[in-house]
Amino acid sequence: MTEEHEHLIEDLAEYALGSLEGPERARVETHVADCETCASRLREYWGVLGALPIGLEPVAPPAGALASIRAAARLRQPAAPAKRGILATWRWATLPLAAGLVAGVLLWNVWLQHEVSIHPPGPEVEALARRPGRLVILAGTGIQGASARLLVAVDGHHGHLAIAGVPPLPPGRSYQLWFVPASAPPVTGGTFAVDSGGRAWATISVPIPLDETRAIAITEEPSSGSSAPTGTYLLEARAWR
Amino acid sequence: MKARTGQDEPADLELLRRMRGGDETALEILYKRYAGLVFTLALRIVGDPELAREVLQDAFLRCWDGRETYDAGRGRVPWWLIGIARNRAIDLLRSRPHQARLRERETLPGPAPARDAGPWDITDAVALRGAIANALESLSTVQRRAIEMAYYRGLTQAEIARELGEPLGTVKSRTREGMERLRISLWPLIDPKREE
Repeated sequence: MTEEHEHLIEDLAEYALGSLEGPERARVETHVADCETCASRLREYWGVLGALPIGLEPVAPPAGALASIRAAARLRQPAAPAKRGILATWRWATLPLAAGLVAGVLLWNVWLQHEVSIHPPGPEVEALARRPGRLVILAGTGIQGASARLLVAVDGHHGHLAIAGVPPLPPGRSYQLWFVPASAPPVTGGTFAVDSGGRAWATISVPIPLDETRAIAITEEPSSGSSAPTGTYLLEARAWR
Repeated sequence: MKARTGQDEPADLELLRRMRGGDETALEILYKRYAGLVFTLALRIVGDPELAREVLQDAFLRCWDGRETYDAGRGRVPWWLIGIARNRAIDLLRSRPHQARLRERETLPGPAPARDAGPWDITDAVALRGAIANALESLSTVQRRAIEMAYYRGLTQAEIARELGEPLGTVKSRTREGMERLRISLWPLIDPKREE
């Protein structure tokens, strides 16, 4: 029996590619843990595979991706001591929601028609991003290539929605964000429009706790907003961190 | 896009160490160093810029929050990062059947034309790109297809065999032969210790 047969050299390439299954895979993992010859060969395969993307025609990462990563990274930082001023500023955002819940449909409509502002990421977003909170990623289930990130503040009542890859809508139409409870009708989080590039940053309200929310979705609705979704879910999230 | 050499490795490790301490500047440096490579790979796998962006962001955030722990025994930092991105991209591909169908309709592109046949300078990414193109070109079509289907689409050997209409044993042997040829061609260029 040669040394090649004693080792698992023949399985290492497939293992490095991730295409080895079941018992064969487990066998290689067990073997390389104790065999430096095979472990070394495996590192060489990993190195070759790690270099393969260099052979592709390079594509520059999208502008703004780093800012999104930094914002999300800040959400995962250890919680800093709360600054009362910031909290006080945030709490105003919960007032329209509370009024809407108490005053019923009429006041709800008034609130709904107060379309959330659209603005580039600014100090408010920066402040939100520094706070520990929740991140929801919505995928384009109805619009291929669309995606959105919902940063929910630590108070759970408001946040910011960043969306990209959706077409601008004609006059009289807007996008509407929905929070879908497990056993109740969807509740709106606000309406918003996007710029000519299909992007928007919108301040939104979070009408029900995320832990009680089964899904978060975006539909196309009349500019005044709808009391229930009338369109299909264009973007949707059913799990979040 | 500079290829990273062994001389740069301590810098990468230092960046990871600083990131674990919450240093956003380290995250930014690592991003600027490898985001292009990660995004290029992600786009090649998922075929959609927005999904590729999602992969890019997720890969760096996983590094940031330590959900993926770097193991120096498995190689250098960029390989590890590429591995995270590749796994994430393939997960996305599998979770979106319509995306997978889109990819399946595409013919796998051939390697980029080789630009230079001279000795490769590992610090020159353009030259390395040429070397990789040459190495891929040296493979038989089936060897290259089998490796690309596994690497860029995450297919198992059985799935590749089904798709190519080849016996499983044939696919396995061609994958092994192709990988070995790539290793022999490229590893001396990737590992600076072997260049002497």
